[in-house]
Amino acid sequence: MTRASRVPAERSKGFFEALAPGGRRMLFGLAAIGVCLIFAFPVFWLVLTALRPGYAVYYVHRGTDFTLDNFLEVIVQEAVLKGMFNSFMISTLATVISLGVTVTSGYMLSRFKGPIPNTWFSLIYVFRCVPYVSWVLPLYFVTQSLGIFDTYWGLLLPHVAVHICFFSWIMKGFFDGIDPSMEYAAMIDGCSRWGAFWRVAMPAAIPGLTALAILCWLYTWNEFLFALILTSHQTQILTVVMAQFVHELGMDWHLMSATGVLALGPALIVTIFGQKYVIRGLKV
Amino acid sequence: MAELVITNLRKSYGNVVAVADFNLEIADQEFVVLVGPSGCGKSTTLRMIAGLEDISGGTIAIGGRVVNELQPKDRDIAMVFQNYALYQHMTVYDNLAFGLRNRRVPETAIDEEIQRVSRILSIEPLLDRRPRQLSGGQQQRVALGRCIVRNPAVFLFDEPLSNLDAQLRAQMRLEIKELRQRVPTTAVFVTHDQVEAMTLGDRIVVMKDGLVQQVGTPLELYRRPRNRFVASFIGSPAMNFLEMRAETAGAGMVLTGLGLSLAIPSRFAPGLAARAGRSVVVGVRPQHARLGVASGDDHVGLSGRLMVTEQLGDEQLLAVRIGSGDFRLAGIDPERVFAPGETIAAAIAIENLHLFDSETGAALR
Repeated sequence: MTRASRVPAERSKGFFEALAPGGRRMLFGLAAIGVCLIFAFPVFWLVLTALRPGYAVYYVHRGTDFTLDNFLEVIVQEAVLKGMFNSFMISTLATVISLGVTVTSGYMLSRFKGPIPNTWFSLIYVFRCVPYVSWVLPLYFVTQSLGIFDTYWGLLLPHVAVHICFFSWIMKGFFDGIDPSMEYAAMIDGCSRWGAFWRVAMPAAIPGLTALAILCWLYTWNEFLFALILTSHQTQILTVVMAQFVHELGMDWHLMSATGVLALGPALIVTIFGQKYVIRGLKV
Repeated sequence: MAELVITNLRKSYGNVVAVADFNLEIADQEFVVLVGPSGCGKSTTLRMIAGLEDISGGTIAIGGRVVNELQPKDRDIAMVFQNYALYQHMTVYDNLAFGLRNRRVPETAIDEEIQRVSRILSIEPLLDRRPRQLSGGQQQRVALGRCIVRNPAVFLFDEPLSNLDAQLRAQMRLEIKELRQRVPTTAVFVTHDQVEAMTLGDRIVVMKDGLVQQVGTPLELYRRPRNRFVASFIGSPAMNFLEMRAETAGAGMVLTGLGLSLAIPSRFAPGLAARAGRSVVVGVRPQHARLGVASGDDHVGLSGRLMVTEQLGDEQLLAVRIGSGDFRLAGIDPERVFAPGETIAAAIAIENLHLFDSETGAALR
């Protein structure tokens, strides 16, 4: 009698492994499309609202009237133009100033040990633990008493402070990924400690720096809470201007949306331009 | 061209002593290798010479000038790093020129020097490339080039071959050796690889736990290790050690233990008589044990059960169980066939025996 050879029992498979490769790909594709739709829908709705006349915004799904008048209406408003200019200036200045500080602070955290870096690291850590919202009110009083309320500095300094706390950490990570012996080689090759940082470590950190600059810029460009509390009429930024389309006489959703679409533009350009740097930088 | 004199050099981190009382005089154009296991303080010593690490005590003098307080850039040294440390954002040419440009050397002179050095190292076709586009061996050659163009008083090498694969390492070893003949300069080379140390060094400094164990030429270290650590570190396969007991027997001494009894006539180890009744460690290099039974009073014999053979093509290595440890024999005829478990007898010339104090590890003769 021949013994029947035993066929090993089919191992139980997970749902994904049980699918054919084509099916698997389709499922992933559908999931990706679903996720994209969830994120894209509010933007789509914003654009749609911006293109509707004022009387039709509550009936978006019914009417067929579309117009560009909303854009023409907001673009001539002084507050919007000024807000755009302020947003641009504050985002750019905050980025430049905070990069100057985060680069050196991240470098220090990465390369030096001792009481000063340790204290600095703990300080940053503590500030990061404090809920963001709870900073606003004290900052209001501080800016008032310093006489910088509703000035560029009054908004810049808090932003720079937040950037330093959040981004020194990331910058430290970039420098950790750069081999310090390159700087030692530079020091032996005739550079001072500072020269080694500036001429060798900095160029190597450029991808990380670019990523950080973009993140900083977008962060300030999109920020609302600080801007709302710490400014009055002089230095309102675009996000605050936008919110003021909700007023005692009603809500101009169409104008607000049009401004929103305008505000998306620069952010979109920065994101598209910087995407590859952000990805490469954060991968370091 | 300069000699390097290190006196009572010391480095400690808080209570941890990394380097203790390091003394060394390196002659002009001498090539000295610091070797030891990781954490022995060899790299710290090198970094102190380079000025990358503060000195806790002692002095370092290059060419008669004490450099303790000088910045790395003012010490007239050049250094090759383990991971090459090339400037990634510059071309090979700019990497080579970097140090000279910092010294404000005219561009024409820089160019001449780079052409000369790149011919020596055959890296001419690579000058326009970036470090990322080079293989490990090429990168290391560029790193060497970056040092040579500077024409420094002292070359420092910090494990420059460790990141290369075995074949390339052997080749780079030859290249460094050849380079020495073309560009004779005082050099300090740090490695954990005893083969590199033996092949490259005019003199070798063996270190352990921050302490210098022995300084000597490769042959001195091999033939006359000052202690058990040096004996085990230098030579491959590593020296065999047998824990035995010294006893007086007639005119000479006999070492017993592990089922063995080795008769040592007193003319071979005059100091051994003082150790009668105490334990000593016997060291035997695998190459010094010959197959066969010992004859004459200038040889001792030992035997054990064969555990494993390792065929290397030009020789065989045997591992023989003596006591609870393995005793290794090298240089055995590769054609010879052994049966596992067979009894192997070996003879060793007494002059090739090393004896160490079993407590301090110091050599007894």
